[in-house]
This record gives sequence, structure tokens and C-alpha cells, in this order.
Amino acid sequence: MSVNLPGTALAVAAGLSAGAAAAALCAPDRIRVRLVGTLSALLGAAGAVAGGAALAGHTYAARLPDLFALSGVTLQVDALSGVFLAIAGAVVSATSIYGIGYASGPGRGRWAQALWPLFAFSLLLVPAAGSVSTLLVAWELMALCSLLLVVSGDPASGRVREAGVWYAVMTHLGLVAILTGLLWLGAAAHTETFAGLRIAAAGISPAVRGGVFVLLLIGFGSKAGMAPLHAWLPRAHPEAPSPVSALMSAAMVNLGIYGLVRFGLDLMGAGSRWWWLTTMTLGALSAVYGIVQAAVANDLKRLLAYSTVENLGLVLVGVGAAGVFQDSGHPALAVLALAAALLHTAAHAAFKTVLFLGAGSVLHATGTRDLDELGGLRTRMPVTTGVFALGALGAAALPGGAAFPSEWLLLQSLIHGLAVPGTLVVVVLPVTVGAIALSAGLAVATFVKALGTGFLAKARSRAAEQAHEARGSMRTGMGLAAAACAALAVLPGAAGPALARATACAVPGGGPRVSAGVARQLTALGSTLWPLMLVAVTLGALVLLRAGLALVSRRAGQRATAPLWDCGAPPLTARMEYTATSFAEPLQRVFDDVLAPESDLDVTPHAESAYLVERIAYSRAVPDRVEHRLYNPVVHTVRRAGLAARALADGSVHRYLGYGFGSVVILLLVLAAAR
Amino acid sequence: MSAPVLVSLAQVLLVLLGAPLLVGAMRRLRARMEGRTGGGVLQPWRDLLKLLRKAPLHPQGTGAAFRFAPLLGVACSGVAAAAIPLLSTRTGLGAGADLIAVVALLTLATAALALAGLDTATAFGGMGASREMTITALAEPAVLTAVCALAAKVGSTNLPAIVAATLSHGARPASPANLLAAVALAVVVLAETGRLPVDNPSTHLELTMVHEAMVLEYSGPDLAMVELGAAMRLTVLLGLWSALFAPWGITTTADPARLLLGLAAFAGKTLLLGCLIAAGEVFMAKVRLFRVPELLAGSFLLAVLAVSASFFLA
Amino acid sequence: MSNRAELLDLAAGLFLLCAVAILWRRDVRAQTAWLSGQGIALAAIAAILGAQDARPDLYGVAAGVALLRAALLPTLVRRAIAARAEDRESAPLINVGASLLAAVALVLLAYTVAQPLVRLEDTPAARALPVGLSVVLIGLLILVTRRKALSQIVGFLLLDNGITAVAFLAAAGVPLLVEFGVSFDLLLAVLVLRVLTARMRNLFGGSDLDEMRELRD
Repeated sequence: MSVNLPGTALAVAAGLSAGAAAAALCAPDRIRVRLVGTLSALLGAAGAVAGGAALAGHTYAARLPDLFALSGVTLQVDALSGVFLAIAGAVVSATSIYGIGYASGPGRGRWAQALWPLFAFSLLLVPAAGSVSTLLVAWELMALCSLLLVVSGDPASGRVREAGVWYAVMTHLGLVAILTGLLWLGAAAHTETFAGLRIAAAGISPAVRGGVFVLLLIGFGSKAGMAPLHAWLPRAHPEAPSPVSALMSAAMVNLGIYGLVRFGLDLMGAGSRWWWLTTMTLGALSAVYGIVQAAVANDLKRLLAYSTVENLGLVLVGVGAAGVFQDSGHPALAVLALAAALLHTAAHAAFKTVLFLGAGSVLHATGTRDLDELGGLRTRMPVTTGVFALGALGAAALPGGAAFPSEWLLLQSLIHGLAVPGTLVVVVLPVTVGAIALSAGLAVATFVKALGTGFLAKARSRAAEQAHEARGSMRTGMGLAAAACAALAVLPGAAGPALARATACAVPGGGPRVSAGVARQLTALGSTLWPLMLVAVTLGALVLLRAGLALVSRRAGQRATAPLWDCGAPPLTARMEYTATSFAEPLQRVFDDVLAPESDLDVTPHAESAYLVERIAYSRAVPDRVEHRLYNPVVHTVRRAGLAARALADGSVHRYLGYGFGSVVILLLVLAAAR
Repeated sequence: MSAPVLVSLAQVLLVLLGAPLLVGAMRRLRARMEGRTGGGVLQPWRDLLKLLRKAPLHPQGTGAAFRFAPLLGVACSGVAAAAIPLLSTRTGLGAGADLIAVVALLTLATAALALAGLDTATAFGGMGASREMTITALAEPAVLTAVCALAAKVGSTNLPAIVAATLSHGARPASPANLLAAVALAVVVLAETGRLPVDNPSTHLELTMVHEAMVLEYSGPDLAMVELGAAMRLTVLLGLWSALFAPWGITTTADPARLLLGLAAFAGKTLLLGCLIAAGEVFMAKVRLFRVPELLAGSFLLAVLAVSASFFLA
Repeated sequence: MSNRAELLDLAAGLFLLCAVAILWRRDVRAQTAWLSGQGIALAAIAAILGAQDARPDLYGVAAGVALLRAALLPTLVRRAIAARAEDRESAPLINVGASLLAAVALVLLAYTVAQPLVRLEDTPAARALPVGLSVVLIGLLILVTRRKALSQIVGFLLLDNGITAVAFLAAAGVPLLVEFGVSFDLLLAVLVLRVLTARMRNLFGGSDLDEMRELRD
């Protein structure tokens, strides 16, 4: 029997995970951080190898009946799983190496460190699961590990605890939705393996499939930060330790997309058009809402978290478009849209890892995430600034950035989609293109703000003045992720064959249809390379111009330093700079109706005269309006119901036993009546 | 070197040399209409040469972003000039002459200049950067939706393909979809090039300037590059607009005689559009910054109408 | 596609463009200029339909429409503005950006709603039907969201232009007599509204319709 590459790599990853967890608990303090970090990085590499092998065409399927009571563990790896395995593995590697230098490793204590490899392994296990029960177990393991890692940051802090509660509640409500949906699907199909579901799904009634899809959209969508179920994201990501935020934002949220693609497109065969129109609409909504919030956010990590909402929204648009096209009998277009979605997932993972790790280095060096207190980091942290700039270029989806090819491909699929007949498509697609364009434009403004006020200009606080460059291993981790960013920006065509295999898994249909679609997608990807040629030409022209300019102006080499224009009233201090708040003010005004910001102007008059102003304090907060309007009422209702229900519990043991007895009797009565 | 590459190089040279002349002509016309003499068509070129001879300065505390942004601006406009079929549809970038990519390149130049403005750490730089990015961000939906309207019929976002398709249909740009898209893109072109009513190119008043505030710290050769970049951007965008909506004179070959005809047509069209803008500016006031979103929302509405019109009025 | 169909499309496009411009501009004086433009586009639609169906009476309608909607009515509104300069701004209730985005939704709605009608009879005129419907909806939007009495008149005229366009496009025009009857009603309505505006000014010192609430008490 020959060696199965994905299977072997996954087994190695499992071993490394156990080894790293054991090392975190038992190894002496001196080598612990380094050992765990190295083992976790190798774990990630093994995952990436498994994913890479799957993308290269190797598949793996196994059933381990003794591993778990009752159901056993079923694994299956195909090219679609491969995309998410490869992304998760690569992100784990980069963040683990970074984690060695970050404080005393990812998380502070031994327990937090032992959780890290487990979380990493669960990220590999979810896409490798081959049955409903295995998927649910892996999903819950992932949710629990990430929850504990989020609160490992600073358990004493009230904000961390609040973030933990939000995350715990939302992730488990999501789990309940997924659990109900998948059990319903399994019950209707009388099987729980993916292979069985794929065959049986066609025979299930559309109503059941629609119901299952809605539940899955809620569950997987909330994990993917789909508005309005995104509320946990901007709370949990800023409070978690930075490597954890990077891993969550770049690898974990993707698995929500994986679930939707796997169950919606692959196993349930695209279903009806309204599923995907809903997905697309919610995706476009998330993209615009996420980036509008990011544009006015001052907290660097909160900004990045909202940017995750935006990017996953774009991915959802791609997935939804793929479903719509598949449903209207255009598999070639569906392949194109899905390829764009998967490529964007990869690009987002690459640049978001860079950005979160960069933000972590800044937090580490200055102790603050507030953009209004940063600035001037480019001289003190040149490597971090350079890497962050590369990530920001990617996030802004400008040519040369990682997300440009994927957003371009997404727009292409939508524009070609206009050829699909149907009133709804004509109405929905242009508005979606507008939404994508608005989110792209605002992303440029957002990341100009993040880079310009956070890293350029003058330091706005003492903390920023005394910043220091990140440690060696942190720089290595960021550098690896930045290299991935650059590769995706310059050579997206290299991902073509892999994406073709992955999309072929999810877009069902006969052989020739799919291969025609793949061929078309490949040509499209090939032509993506062309705009990128533009970038290369731009850079070449830049160098030429620079050389020419040096010839024209004789003293280009040594520039005399000139003072800045200070309106004749020196000196210019850092307090006169434009801050992140002031930079975002015009956008905040434009989107006033959407954001409903709370601003407060406090004027303190002089003691002697009311006309002389002594101090003016301006504060602004932009609370998440969805949270305000949608969640708070629900939370209040639940709380009131809970208080009312207290009347049922008066402390009498007999009464409690009576409840139990009563329920058993009622259940039996119902069973008897139903018979 | 193959003919298409030569065409592209010729276009870049044409834009590089012609852009300051276009600006000169526009300033001259505006001055005449306002009852002034004006500086002559060659004045921008004289200014540029004078600035290039000055010693380059390093404003205190600025970094690489400040230094490289002007060059990136010129380079991006130059690449756009190579990609857009200004003279002939056979440009050297082939499939790379993509409408979305060209728009993204010009946005990249804007973003770089905004970073440079923030990098100076002055209030002016930040103010200009903030305003410019707001306008750019809000212009994006109108641009891409209009692109969608133009590309939907041709089935490609490739610029030479779009222009060639319009030309082969006997150049009938007067369809309702084209009409609406033309108005939408015209508004965007005004916003992206910083002309009235969005930004006043000849103001240095703190409260109103947008682009000028951003580049206030530049001097000498750097300022020359900023000015050249802005002039080239204007020329390229006017060229793009006329190529999309009035493609008369653009050849589909690389024949020298036809190229010369194309050159004359390009010069004529661009000059005409520039003069229209300049003449309009005499009678127009700048709108308040917070009314610019209305302008751009209207442009977006027109672009959406253009997409729908290309279906219900085709 | 025939030349005439193309011209019809172009006129319909211009008709829509004018409606958008009226929604876009705050200045009532500029709005009346666009209203004139729209009147001309409407007359052109009538004339083109007349040429297409060889119905000379439609030329008469076109001339009437041009006279009334491109010249007379906008002039009346402009006179009203000249009487009092501060009414030039149309003072929208919701900001113009939002009402433009609402117009996007309305146009797409009009397009969707008109699809069955278009499928019924696939002629160039029927395909332009959503344009007329959109203008009706945009006119209603202006009526709902603008505060000043003068912009109400503009919205009302826009609404009526839309209705007339729908009538032309759906039924290839209404009989001459009916058209003139409607037009005179319109003229009367505008005159009444003008008088009303003038009275309001005398009473309240402004033409903000929200002040009419005071009449309740």
C-alpha cells in the first residue's frame, strides 16, 4: 500500500498537536515557549502539506470506528477541504513562529499554551471531517479552544470578560443552529457521512432542504461574521492576544464559508435561487456595513476585525453568486464566482495575518491599540511598518495587493453574470457591484488611515515615541505571511489548477460541463495576470523615472532639510496633527444615518467669566448600531424571561423532582398519542 | 519592437508632453473669460522646467511615503496612458488594458499622495488627505457600476475591446445606456481630477482646498512631479472618457497615417473637453464638501440607470 | 434595430435623465430648466410615436406638449420663484444622497413591475415603459420628501409628465381631446398651487408646507 500524503500529513499533525500540548504542560520554563512554538509551526506546516497535496489532486478518506464511542471518526479530504487546510496550516505556521517572541508565547500560562496546538489542530480537523458527527465534534473543539484563548489575554479585565461572554453565547447559538440543521438533514437522508448525504440529498423535499439551509446559513454565517450576526467579531478579536486574533480572523472564520460551500453547494446541490440571493444580499450588506464601521474605528484591532466582516462579506457574495449561476444553469460562471470567493478567502487570510500580527507588534511595543495615540512608528519599527504597508495594500485591494486579483475576478464574474436572463439578476447584480465598489473605495480610505495615522507622521504619545522594533521570531512570522501576500498579488495564476480542482468539488454536474467551466475560469485567471503586469510595468517606470530625475536635478542625492510650513507660528507639535478621528470625520458625517455616532462636546468656562473658555473636551464613540438596535432588545427580553422564570424555582427539592417527573410523564403521553 | 508597443510608447509620450499644454490652454481660456491676460499655453511647461532645476528639499520629519508618492503618481498615469486606446485600439498592453485595473491604478496614485499628505504630520496634509480619500471612496461605486454598464454589452472589461466594439457598431454612442453612463462618468472625472464643483484647482484657501492641501509641503522637483502627475491624470481621464463615449478617430490598426489622424482627433477632443471644463468653471462655484456625496450619489444613480437601461432600452 | 426605435430610446433616456437631475438639484430654478428639457423629451417621444404609427394627430399633441410642458408651466414656476428669492432652495426632508439611493430602488422596482407588460407586447415603446413608471415614482418621491410648496409643484409636474409618458408608451398616445383636457387641468392645478403658495406666504411668511400643520389648531 502506498503512502497517502494528506492522510499521513494529518496523522503527523495530530501527533505534533499532542506533543506540543504535552510540552506546554510538562516542559521546563526555559525551553517551553520555544518548543511549543516550533512544534506548533511544524503542525501548521503538516496541515499545509496535507492541504497542498489535496489541492494537487490526492484525496483521502478514512473511517476510524474505535476512536470515538457510538459514531467513530470519519475523515475525508478532497480539493475543497484542501483549500481550507492549506490556508489554516499556513496561518498556524506563521502565527506560531510569531508567538514565540510575543510576550511569553501565545497566551500567558501553561494551560493557554497547551490550548494553542489543540486549537490549531481543530482548525485542520473541521475541513478534514467526513461525517456530520465528526464535523460537529471538531467544530465544538474549535469553539471551546478559541473561547478559552480569547479570555486567556487578561482574564481580570472586564472588557475581556465581556468579549468572552459575547463570543461564548454567539458561537454556541451558532452551534445550536448548525447542530439542528445537520441533524435534520441527517435524519431526512438517513445517513450521516458526506458521501451518503451527497447521494441522498436529491431525494429530500425542497422545504426540508430550505429549512436546513436557513439554519446552516445562520450557524455558519455567524462564524463567518455575516451581518447582522457579526457582533461577536469586533468584540472578541481586539481583546484576544494578537496571534490568537490572527488565527481566528485568518483561519477560523473561513470555516464558516467552508461549511456553506460544502453543505449548500456540494452536498445539497445548490438548491433554490432564493438561498443564494439571500446569501449574496447578506454578503453585500456585511461588506458595506463592515467597512463603514472599520472606516470610523480608532482601535486598530477593532478596525481589522470589522475589515474581516467586510472581506468575508465579499466572499459570501462570491459564494452566493456561484449558487445563483449554478441554479440558473451556468456552471462556468458558477465556477468563476466560486474561484473568486476561494481566492479571496486565501488573500484575506494572508493579509489579515500580516495586519493582525503587525498590530500585535505595535501593541507589544507601545501598549496601545488606539490610532489617536500612535504615529511615527516608521522610524522606530521599520520592518513592522513595511510589512503592515504590504498588508494594507492587500486589504485596500489596490494593484500590487493580495486582494486585487480576487476582487477583480469577483467583479468579472458578476459583470459576465449580467448575461444571465432573469429580472432579479438584472436588479441584484448592478447593486451588488455598487456595494462591492463602495466597500473597495472605503477600504482604501480605511487603510490609508490605519497606515498613515498609525505608522507615518509624528508620534502622538510618549508610548509611541518609545516604541521598539519587534523581536526576531515575530519579524520572521510577519515576514512569512507578507511573503504569502506578495506571492498571491503577483502570481495568482499559479493557484489556477488548484482552484479548478477545488471548485470542481463544489459545483456539481457532469464531467464536460465542469471541465468547460474550469477551462473558462483558467483563461479568466490567466487574464488576471495581465492587470498585474501593469503593476510590474508601473514599478519599472518608477525606477526609470527616479534614475532620470537624479540626472536632471544635480543634487538629488543630498537633500537639504527644510522646516514644515507652520503658518509662521512655530513650533508644530504632534498635537496639531490630524488624528485618526479627524481623518474619519468626513466619512462619519456622510454615513451619519447609518452609524448614528455618539459625540459629546464638553466646554468648561473660566471661573471668572462665562465667556472665556478654559477647556474643550470632545469625545466620540461609534457603537455598533446593529448591536444596539437588534441585540439589546433580545438580550433584555431574555433577561426578563429569565427573571420571570425564577418564580418556578423556589428552592424546594420536591418541586424540582416534581418538574422532572412531570416532564417524563408528559413525554410518554406525547409518545403514546403520536403512535 | 512590435507595433502595439510602439503605439503605447507614443501614447505615453503624447500624454507626458501634452498634459501641461492642456492645463496651460485651460488656464489661458479661463483667464481670458475672467478678463485677465493669463500666462500663455506654455506656462505650465516653463514652471515645470524651473521647478526641476531647483534643489530638492527634505521637509523635516517626512519619510519614504512622502518621497515616492509623486513618482508613483506620474508612473500610474503613464501606465494608464499606455493602456487606454487613445490613438489606436492596438495598444501594447493587450489584455492587460483592463478598465477596472486602470481605475484601480489611478486610485493607487491617489492613495499614495494621501499617505504622503499624512506623512508630513501637518494639519493641512491630514486635512487634504482625509477629504481626498472621502471623495475617492464615494466615487468608486459610480465608476465601477458605469464600467459594469459599458462592459455588460461587450462581455469584457478590456478597454480596446470596448472601444473596438463601439467603433464597429458604426460609432453610435448615443444609446440611452451610454448617455447615462457618460454623465455618470463625467461627474466622476471632475471629482477624480479635482475640478470644480468638487475641488477648486486654483485655490489656496485653507478651508476649501483638497488636493492642494495634501501637497502643500512639496517643492522643487518633487512639486514638478506632483503637478505633472496631476496634469497627466486629467489628460488620461479626459482621454478615457472620450475613448469610451466619443471614439471617433481612434484606429483599429497601427498604420502610421491613421495614427496621425488619431492624434489630431485626440488632441482636438481633449482640448475641447478641457475648454468646456474651463469655461464651465468660470460660471460655477465649488459645492460644500458635504454636498459632494450628493453629487456622487447622483452619479451612482445614473450609473445604475445605465445598467438597467442597457437591458430595458437595448 | 430601426432608426426610429433608437431615437425613441434616446428620447426616453433623456426623459429619465431629466427626472434624475430634478431630484439631484436643490435649486428650484435649475429644476425648472430640467423640467423644460423633460417637456421637450416628452414631446419628442410623442412625435416619434406619431411618425412610427403614421398618426398626424400625435404631432399636434407633441406640439401642445412642447408648448405647455417645455415653455408655459416651467415659466409659471420660474415667475413664482422670482417673486421671492429665498424659496430657491428646495429644502429636502431627507438628504439628497439618501433620496437618490431611494430612487435607485424605485427605478429597479419600476423595471421589475413593468416586466410582465413588456413581455405582453415586445415593442420598443413597451420596452421604454419602465422609464415612464420610474418618473412617476420619482415624482411621488419628490412630493413626499420636499418641504417647499414650489418643489411640490415641480414634483407634481414630474408626476404628470411620467403619467403622460406611460400613456404614450403603453397605448401609443391618448386621443387629442383627452390630452388637451388633461393639460388644461394641469395648468389649472399649477395656477391654483401658485395662488395657494402666494397666500401661504402672506399668512406664514414662507412656503414651508410643514407650517400648514398650524392650521389644525
